[in-house]
Amino acid sequence: MKVKFILNGRNRSFEVKPGEFLLDTLRKNAITSVKNGCNESSCGACSVLLDGKPILSCSLLTLRVEGHRITTVEGIQEEIELISHYFGDEGADQCGFCNSGLALTAYALKRELVNPTDEDIKKYVVGNLCRCSGYQAQFEAIKRYVRNEK
Amino acid sequence: MKVVNNKTRSIDGKGIMMGRPAFTDDLAESNSLIVKILRSPHAFAHIKNIDVTKARALAGVELVLTYHDVPHVSFTRAGQGYPEPSPHDKFVLDEYVRYVGDEVACVAAVTEEIAEKALALIEVEYEVLEPILDFEKSMNNKIVIHPEDGIHDMFPIGFEPKKNLAASYYMHVGDVDKVLKTCDVTVTQSFYTQAQAHAMLEPHTANARLDYHNRLVIYTSTQTPFHVRRILSQTLGIPLSKIRVIKPRVGGGFGGKQALHGEMFVALVTMRTNKPCKIVFSRKEVFESSYTRHPMRLDMRLGAMKDGTLKAIDCHVLSDTGAYGEHALTVFMVAGSKVLPLYNKVDAVQFTGEVVYTNHVSAGAYRGYGAIQGNYALESAIDMLCTKLGMDPTEFRKKNMIKEGETSPIFAIMGEGTAGTPMIMESCKLDYCLKRGKELIDWKKKYPRVQAGPHKVRSVGSAIAMQGSGIPHIDMGSATVKLNDDGFYNLTVGATDIGQGSDTILAQIVAEELMTTIDKVIVYSSDTDLTPFDTGAYASSTTYVSGNAVLKAATNMKDMLIEEAARSLDVPIDQVDFNGATFKSLEKEITLSDLANHLYYSEHQRQLTATNSFVGKISPPPFMAGFIEIEVDTETGEFEVLDYVSVVDCGTTLNPMLARGQVEGGIAQGLGMAAFEDVKYSAKGKLMSNSFLYYKVPTSLDIKKLTTEFAESYETTGPFGGKSVGEIGIDTPPAALCNAVYNAVGVRITKLPVTPEKILQGIIANKQKEKKL
Amino acid sequence: MEIKHFHRATSLQDAHETLLQDPSNIVLGGGLWVKKVNASANTLIDLSDLKLDQIKDTHNQLEIGAMVNLRDFETHPAVKSINGGFLSHAVSQIMGVAFRRLATVGGTVAGRFAFSDLLTPLLTLDVTLVFFPKKEISLEQYLNAKGKTTDILTSIIIKKEPGIGYFKKVSNTVLDFAILNIAVTHFKGKYVIAVGARPAGSVLALKAMDYLNTQKNPGLAEFEKAAELTSEALGFLTTSTGSESYRKSLARTYVRRGLEEVAHHEG
Repeated sequence: MKVKFILNGRNRSFEVKPGEFLLDTLRKNAITSVKNGCNESSCGACSVLLDGKPILSCSLLTLRVEGHRITTVEGIQEEIELISHYFGDEGADQCGFCNSGLALTAYALKRELVNPTDEDIKKYVVGNLCRCSGYQAQFEAIKRYVRNEK
Repeated sequence: MKVVNNKTRSIDGKGIMMGRPAFTDDLAESNSLIVKILRSPHAFAHIKNIDVTKARALAGVELVLTYHDVPHVSFTRAGQGYPEPSPHDKFVLDEYVRYVGDEVACVAAVTEEIAEKALALIEVEYEVLEPILDFEKSMNNKIVIHPEDGIHDMFPIGFEPKKNLAASYYMHVGDVDKVLKTCDVTVTQSFYTQAQAHAMLEPHTANARLDYHNRLVIYTSTQTPFHVRRILSQTLGIPLSKIRVIKPRVGGGFGGKQALHGEMFVALVTMRTNKPCKIVFSRKEVFESSYTRHPMRLDMRLGAMKDGTLKAIDCHVLSDTGAYGEHALTVFMVAGSKVLPLYNKVDAVQFTGEVVYTNHVSAGAYRGYGAIQGNYALESAIDMLCTKLGMDPTEFRKKNMIKEGETSPIFAIMGEGTAGTPMIMESCKLDYCLKRGKELIDWKKKYPRVQAGPHKVRSVGSAIAMQGSGIPHIDMGSATVKLNDDGFYNLTVGATDIGQGSDTILAQIVAEELMTTIDKVIVYSSDTDLTPFDTGAYASSTTYVSGNAVLKAATNMKDMLIEEAARSLDVPIDQVDFNGATFKSLEKEITLSDLANHLYYSEHQRQLTATNSFVGKISPPPFMAGFIEIEVDTETGEFEVLDYVSVVDCGTTLNPMLARGQVEGGIAQGLGMAAFEDVKYSAKGKLMSNSFLYYKVPTSLDIKKLTTEFAESYETTGPFGGKSVGEIGIDTPPAALCNAVYNAVGVRITKLPVTPEKILQGIIANKQKEKKL
Repeated sequence: MEIKHFHRATSLQDAHETLLQDPSNIVLGGGLWVKKVNASANTLIDLSDLKLDQIKDTHNQLEIGAMVNLRDFETHPAVKSINGGFLSHAVSQIMGVAFRRLATVGGTVAGRFAFSDLLTPLLTLDVTLVFFPKKEISLEQYLNAKGKTTDILTSIIIKKEPGIGYFKKVSNTVLDFAILNIAVTHFKGKYVIAVGARPAGSVLALKAMDYLNTQKNPGLAEFEKAAELTSEALGFLTTSTGSESYRKSLARTYVRRGLEEVAHHEG
């Protein structure tokens, strides 16, 4: 079946199976930043933005995306590069597998929450599991990004 | 130092976050056949008959393999130096299956759907055998898990498969029974630890293709590319020279990728079909069919005098290695060798134990590698001793723990399956770590407990730990530094970056030694064709072993450059002054850039490369003191981790931010083992905690605060004073937490993980005891 | 799960007719359980075009379309103002924001999941479920009913009644299934107590409520008794995350704490 949606700013059309999920559609079409960490809605590594808000692509049927906007890191490179500087400064980037999903979530957080507290920030990204870092450095990086610190 | 021990961003974080293809599955050929494994539904069974006719006949299926179709050569999947200290007790495919999830058959098909359909068409007649699911009943059980011929150890490790023994060991210094009898106070207690899952975010995956030399080229998410190449060659009978193994970016390993997973199958499929193929483990397969930590029972006996002098330690370990013996002996030995030396002044110490087979998921390497299990038991028992002595546990530790300049007889006795290496602690800042940690957590005010509400108690607990830095006389790392025109360098290393940042810190070493900036050092790592050898990322060896090799190579390069500059300037070598960018003599000078260009194009043309290697003569331990603060709800047993303080001596922190990340990542995993990660099997031996829905790794809201500091320390045998920092973080949380729980509510947890229900049960039991008195 | 067809319903009638065509046809909520079920479905029916993702706030009730996702539900100002915000509080603890953007209120309610953190606090309120073809039943009735239904849940109606709600999810980690869910709501002159994830699904603690709501000026002693009655009367079981006796003691403790907390507020 055909599905049409806007991927990273471009109108795209894909031929997909009825039971196909967005994660697989994206990875088959050279969007390798979206990761398959668990394929069962539990780890957040597959996070993409649907109309600007985070959603789990491993559990979103591609046919439901018809007419919507999907954003991955490939589509907002400048902003992601900025986020990567904050991560690099805190040493928050270890294996990197969770980073693209986490960066998208941080990007959406900054645009959705007004003056978030530390607790608000932690709650927003709690679904992005990281096994490498212990979360402190990531939290510092995201906090500084959200508050536009130098 | 200008680059080392300075805040430096990683060299690869940006590119990865921005989405460049980097991980193993990102690099699979787009036309790869999909490889799937048929897995055993039984914990122990014999395959009486296996019929793959229907599966082979399915359109789109290119290959189906059973044990009839593969070499019958036993090997170990463990990625260790050769000859391995793990038994060769595994076949590529076997007529026995030994755990739920064990490999039965292998299918390669053009799509995932067809591969799954083919799996369902394979008909297997099993003779279901009674499994051993209780490791305390395994030794000498009439059920034998490895009855087959053709399995063996590579050198004596106590391998007695007819008794279900994968390994055993015994050592003693002095007479522990005799000394215990003279002690004023003793503690006897057994502790149990669970089969923690690595739960790295990237599932195991490998892919293969034939290149135009018709060589087998494998990309695999591994910690040990060179060991993978060797094991494939020896098992499948392919010449080493015909195999190339490349490790791309790895999404976390922690020991779970220090062993083969899918490489055997993708190698076979590509060799037999001439087509590229790939295998990607599902998360369920990662839980059920890769590796776990070795669950253990540790039987401790400690003895001390009234004045707080620790006199004797006896530790007996029973370790469950599951269906196969990867890392069986070595993990078990580290439970002693990297824990017991902490208290080096005892009159007698004994370490003994057995590693048994069961029909559980195979246990293997996992960060800490036995030290976390041993630390939990010893540091808990120490606190129990202190309760009997009426002594502050930190004072007790201060009195008895190892100090700078001291040694322990255990270093000389216990090695990696062989004899050990004597060493003196040239750098050991444990005393500072303990003192500083106490300050940071405010031990004086908070020990043992403070009432924080009608039903809330806050308390603190502590533990100290040590680890190692590589395996002396065994682990070898090497590096090549190559000069390019314009004056920048390529650094090729076998060292395996699995996310810990080794590419970055090794580049920092070169940049520091050659007095340049990190952007002038381009790293390429872990390719068996193009990079020099390295044993791989394990045993906390990368900074110390690989780093020393890199430093040696960089120093060689510096010498070569100065020699060339002297020739170019026509002055004696000792008159050349190099500052990283320019060579100056009294009257003349030449820039590195110009010199490099001349060497490529116009004058005395040659390619400057420096290759060097390093094997450690010792394994200088990093140390740390861990302190936890918790709040316990005395009506429900629920507890919150309020803060975890770590003060670490890892020598120089080559990259302070990345070092902090290693410690804190380790603390998080240690807390996971201590409190959050529970492993459950069904009565028939199926792993129930086989998904992130049921197996909970800690999140950012479960770990409220981590405070991490490093001691000023310098290990002269390490590169720029560095030791290691990869594993030390994981060791202390279980003991620290259990000690804090005892301090809070007088409940001693001796079986991990700590749960609110266990705490509440303990509180109720204590109340009932009080009533009886 | 193997799926043969995906059908975007053009109307509720169309959705219902398609659902009746094959017993294996399923109406899609968030779709999160599609992967976890090891069966095959002939047709998945998607209600995304039917504008069921609206929240209608009127003076005396809140009507929530079945396709409203949990994240939108949790952050909606009208939901936040229900009885002190305990519904938002409950939903905000379910997994992460990306998960909640997929999961739907309808899917959660229609699924009658025993572990649902939303159903427990909802059960303490006056909630009516609207199904197509035309049928309205109370949430309590629906939770007690047995067997599958081929009616399609289109919205849930929460009657606004001044009061304050308390919700506690007991779990070992933040993203875990609940070991126990407890909700207590205090309206003018009456207390409502619900317990879920026992492991069985959410139920009202009727015996405890009958006792408590006949007491004049109930205080700590009465709250303790009500909590005791809850833990004795409701059924609890042992599972891998907690024993029966632990769940009982959690119920006793948290019902009492909930009652203490909501006692001082009403309407």
